[in-house]
Amino acid sequence: MKKNYLSRINLIGLSFSLASILIVLQMVRIQNSTKHQELSRWADAEYSYAIENYYPERGNIYDRWGRLLAGNEDVYEVGVMLEYVTNPATIAQTLNGVNQLAYQDILAAASKTYDSENSVYAVLTDFLPSGVIDALSQIKQEYEITNPYGRKENLPSLRGVVWNSHLKRSYPENSLASNILGFYSFMDREYGVGYYGVEEYYNDLLAGKPMETFMPRNPYLLEELPTVPAGASLVLTIDREIQAMVEKKLDEAIKEYEAESGTVIIMDPRNGEILAMASQPNVNLNQYWKYEEQFKGTTPFNRAISETYEPGSVFKVLTMAAAFDAGSVDEETIFNDPGRFEYGGSTIYNWNRRGWGKQTMQGCMQNSLNVCLAWVATELGKDDFYDYMQAFGIGRRTNIDLGGEKIWPLSTPDDSDWYPIQLATNSFGQGVAVTPIQLASAVTAVANDGKLMKPHVLKAIIQNGKQYNTTPQVQSIPLKPETAKTITDMLEKSLKEESSLALVPGYNIAGKTGTAEIPVEGVYGIDLTNASFVGWGPAEDPQFLVYVWIEKPKSSPWGSVVAAPVFSSITQELVKYLDIPPAGSEINLLAKES
Amino acid sequence: MAKKSKQAYKQAPWRRQIQSIGLSLLPVVAIAIFIMLYLVISAQAAAAGLEIMNLHFDEEEILRKIANQRTQLALITSFTQMQKRAEKLGYEPASESNIQYIKISGYQGKNAVLIAPPPGIENESALLVNDLYNESLANWFVETFFITSQSSQGDGS
Repeated sequence: MKKNYLSRINLIGLSFSLASILIVLQMVRIQNSTKHQELSRWADAEYSYAIENYYPERGNIYDRWGRLLAGNEDVYEVGVMLEYVTNPATIAQTLNGVNQLAYQDILAAASKTYDSENSVYAVLTDFLPSGVIDALSQIKQEYEITNPYGRKENLPSLRGVVWNSHLKRSYPENSLASNILGFYSFMDREYGVGYYGVEEYYNDLLAGKPMETFMPRNPYLLEELPTVPAGASLVLTIDREIQAMVEKKLDEAIKEYEAESGTVIIMDPRNGEILAMASQPNVNLNQYWKYEEQFKGTTPFNRAISETYEPGSVFKVLTMAAAFDAGSVDEETIFNDPGRFEYGGSTIYNWNRRGWGKQTMQGCMQNSLNVCLAWVATELGKDDFYDYMQAFGIGRRTNIDLGGEKIWPLSTPDDSDWYPIQLATNSFGQGVAVTPIQLASAVTAVANDGKLMKPHVLKAIIQNGKQYNTTPQVQSIPLKPETAKTITDMLEKSLKEESSLALVPGYNIAGKTGTAEIPVEGVYGIDLTNASFVGWGPAEDPQFLVYVWIEKPKSSPWGSVVAAPVFSSITQELVKYLDIPPAGSEINLLAKES
Repeated sequence: MAKKSKQAYKQAPWRRQIQSIGLSLLPVVAIAIFIMLYLVISAQAAAAGLEIMNLHFDEEEILRKIANQRTQLALITSFTQMQKRAEKLGYEPASESNIQYIKISGYQGKNAVLIAPPPGIENESALLVNDLYNESLANWFVETFFITSQSSQGDGS
């Protein structure tokens, strides 16, 4: 029997095989066609990846005890997806007044015609708190129930309204420590940057590294998702409670003495840590854009580091310390004060234009005698005097870790603009300009056995989940320890003997007042002064240094009347915060028990 | 007789047809199974990828929430708020007269704040994936059939 090769089943098999081969051939043809390659490239470019910008969370800033001074809060941007908007009027009515939005502006934005290339999304407002978004979400849902998909034009609908959350810089303490912190221009989401203070100085650390990356849309490639580490967080040396106390006291003093402004710095002389730094004016950092209302003209953001001025008699501490250290004078040296001192073609007078007769060096400091200090400077000699001043950091940056530090150069005998009279005037703080931080930092050498520690506000950095503590740095050693002790003892005694208003009951304090005349059109007068006081204690083991500068007080021009009581008032509170007991008041619990 | 016996061993034509169809369909079925498995695994991988994506977004949201909560906590414990609360509760600033200092030998004072561990202390985070899922088939085989049997023999002696 002849086989029938064209039986029905074979025909079916053959046709299926042929169809399969044709399908495969067609697939191969399509895969290799020019059109397919173009389409494939287009699809890869358009849909395989999306460019995503990752902005890491800006690092937090804490005070020395871990209390948050600058953090981030969740806020929302609200906009409309124009393709889905069905009722612009409802959107305008609902958002009218929110974040000062005007009805007409919202209506105009929501009524824009959708264009897949040029007009897809419109931002309505930004930085809305979560509470507003919760309310908006609820309203949207209610409208959606009554008018699903917004199909009925006569019924309200919030179709198309969308919101996205993002972080915004937030300062929980508002204006507290604003002069130290500076601010981050969070309103500019793309190009925000830190200005002034810690925010400026440590901007790169706080900001982290923004990343632009290709975000795969292909789910098989999603394991490549980038991780963007947050910016480093900073722990400052600032104590929030002390800072608040100092700011309050300074505000009160400025009002009481009708002063133009004021600055207070509290340092730990042993390590250069800034415990508090207050300066007027200040600003609520959550509304940093109002900065120009507070800081008019050339007013510096932080006077403590940015305003140079003639310090006056507080500078005598440095002159006397230098002279003692060089051996030009000692505790036995007697100066017969005639009330005037001729030097470099000019005459130096005392503050009361009288002679004070025979004076020990302590007497010269206690009575703040310009004539005596000018003589001491000449005894020391110009070269040694300026060498010591440079070792104290006068005319040099302290390199404090805050943005905006300014200095005034110190004229020395090598400079063409230096005249011999400057040796005499510089000795009592006139003709020389410093910032408050420069002066406070210089005097810490006297309070710290002759070692000048670098002033700083950073205590630790927290990066990648680890805390790295900073190490205090010695900036210079201008004095011998015994000189520092001698000057401290001298200034402690002089405060006690003059019954200074700076005294703190129960504590041994060393310090010096300063009253610097401010020149008006080149003429010095007592009408405008910088009143200041620098003090440290306890004298037997200094743990703090407080510098007070009251600018242009009207009630009294004198540092001893204006700045000294502010120092006392601040220090009386400070010793409580620092747990420093009054001299001789300690109860040794163990001794008592034994 | 001979013809008859020869015919007795010959398979029926329909059987031979079935066999040839079966043989020709075998690779088709194998390919179909392979494709099916590929699709199932691919779908699972895609689902896992999407889940990773969602977890990534969740992580971002949680980090934002943590940052927000930290700031909200700071707001309600800010200096001004704490001062108001203290005053409301009847507290007042301590004066010199009602402060007593007690010196305790060896007490160094308040410790510096430690927000994160210092470098050098590594956090051994707990393994999120069960060990079983990290074990290769070969290891499992050796562990189960060789090491286990050896140890059971050892126990017996």
